[in-house]
Amino acid sequence: MSITDLIYLSQKSLRSNILRSILTSLGIIIGVSSVITMISIGSGARIEVEQQIERFGSNNLIVRSQSSSNRGVSMGANSVNTLTLKDMEALKEELPAIKAIAPRVSLSTQIVANGNNWLATVTGTTNDYFDLGNWKFENGRSFEEEELNSGSRVAIIGKTVQKNLFDTDSPIDEVIRINKVPFTVIGLLDAKGGTAWADLDDTVIVPLKTAKQRLVAKKFPGDQIRSMTINVRSSDLLFKTEKDVDTVMRKLHKISANGNPDFVIRNYAQFLNARQESSRVMSILLATVAGISLIVGGIGIMNIMLVTVTERTKEIGVCMSVGAKKRDILLQFLIESLMISLIGGLIGIALGLGVIFGVSEYFKWKMSLDYMSIVLSFVFSSSIGIIFGFYPARKAANLNPIDALRYE
Amino acid sequence: MGDNKLLALDNIDLSINKGDFVSIMGSSGSGKSTLMNIIGCLDVPSSGEYHFRDNNVSNLNSNKLAELRNKDIGFVFQNFNLLPRLNAQENVVLPLLYSGKNLKERNQLAIEALESVGLKDRVHHRPNQLSGGQQQRVSIARAIAGSPKLILADEPTGALDSKTGLEIMKILNDLNSKGITIVLVTHEDDIAKYGSRIIKMKDGKILEDKKNVNN
Repeated sequence: MSITDLIYLSQKSLRSNILRSILTSLGIIIGVSSVITMISIGSGARIEVEQQIERFGSNNLIVRSQSSSNRGVSMGANSVNTLTLKDMEALKEELPAIKAIAPRVSLSTQIVANGNNWLATVTGTTNDYFDLGNWKFENGRSFEEEELNSGSRVAIIGKTVQKNLFDTDSPIDEVIRINKVPFTVIGLLDAKGGTAWADLDDTVIVPLKTAKQRLVAKKFPGDQIRSMTINVRSSDLLFKTEKDVDTVMRKLHKISANGNPDFVIRNYAQFLNARQESSRVMSILLATVAGISLIVGGIGIMNIMLVTVTERTKEIGVCMSVGAKKRDILLQFLIESLMISLIGGLIGIALGLGVIFGVSEYFKWKMSLDYMSIVLSFVFSSSIGIIFGFYPARKAANLNPIDALRYE
Repeated sequence: MGDNKLLALDNIDLSINKGDFVSIMGSSGSGKSTLMNIIGCLDVPSSGEYHFRDNNVSNLNSNKLAELRNKDIGFVFQNFNLLPRLNAQENVVLPLLYSGKNLKERNQLAIEALESVGLKDRVHHRPNQLSGGQQQRVSIARAIAGSPKLILADEPTGALDSKTGLEIMKILNDLNSKGITIVLVTHEDDIAKYGSRIIKMKDGKILEDKKNVNN
């Protein structure tokens, strides 16, 4: 008996009980859709973390000024900038685990060029900023030592700024006005894309000294800076360095170990770990749901197949009398339960795709559809069908033809 | 039950020749069903031997028995035993399915078989759309589709009115005249007399085995 004949016979009997077949596969449907969702949440989180590392660089700590009295509330330009270039130098000196530090001052201001206006964040920093932040140049170059030291009016712009100010793809040597001060564009950064909270490409970068002299002299007097990005030599040292930075900074700012600091240290790895952890918890939860419902689904299939075998005892007898071998009967019922579980699998895959789509649209969660998860779902559901269908099928195959024929 | 072993068949010595039309008669419990199951290779005797064509059936396993039933034996039951989900043609195709014939060939054979029992225009009807006599004819078509050597008919007219019953007996008679051996189990004298040989059973023993001179 060929496989197509078996499938033909099985679908005949499944169709005569279509509602029952679908209800039976409910457990499989839920199980499979959970498997698919679980896997794509997991791989979505992994991809997101990889992208974040790609965007922000790995092994970085960010130290930011923070008003010691009013957390997070700006107390005016002067009160909030507690970090200085001296802090930066001291950290470099004290902590050998630090590979590089990029200082940063910033302001949000109007940029004018080509008769176009655009509001962007202007950052004053050094060349380390590009390495630490994983910035690549689409065009042009980074600052030269001389430009950094002399306070030259040169700027490097992000993709968003370029698109909004210029018609051309190579704005090198063009002039932009930041706060009415003319700057020459010397570089164009590669696009990084947006995050949920900011467009990273909406940026203009100028030498630190130039910014302090010409753009933010009032906001950042003396050697005050807004923040610094610290690059640690290896990821193993990241958490220890975070503690060390805290200790050194407290000493520099004369703040006791349990006093309120006037700075905040952000560890990006921590954030990524938290993100990964939360998606891992979610995945474990879904895996549990998937596991339970696949087993319950399997038992459901076994249950209904046992009922079917009993209902069709006489039929089995007839098939045996016209020459069905044990193997034929076994295969026939096995294929039937396999089909129930595969139908469940298909519906489950469709449902899972719907959930993935819905969640990623609604919650803006990054979900990645892994094609392996579809393959895996098929493997799961078909093995459930075969494993739990085997006992009923064997029961059918082992019926005695005479008893089966006599069954009413 | 108890210590007394009940023998469904006791000391039976019977041979049936190719082309015979044998009627087996007996009341219920006479052992005729058991005899029929053994002749039909549905069961093997607990002791003794049964030879069917060149096979010692007593030694065959269930696969070999299934193969014999599939190729050489056709069953006609009192209650037709058609599969309700399948139409007439699909029911007739069933044994051919198990013998591994290809699609074209088995559909061809099924239609020929249905034609030969006069159901050419009922090919796509389901059992519940057919009368009792038509259903029995479908089951005869199923029995002959694989060109068997032997047809076993177990009370084939039992569920039919007498007129329809006679039609069925005529079909069986025709099949016999084409050389197919027929073993008929019945308790009705009118039906049994179609056989060329009538065997009467009681308590697992053959009571009487004689040629039917009227036939």
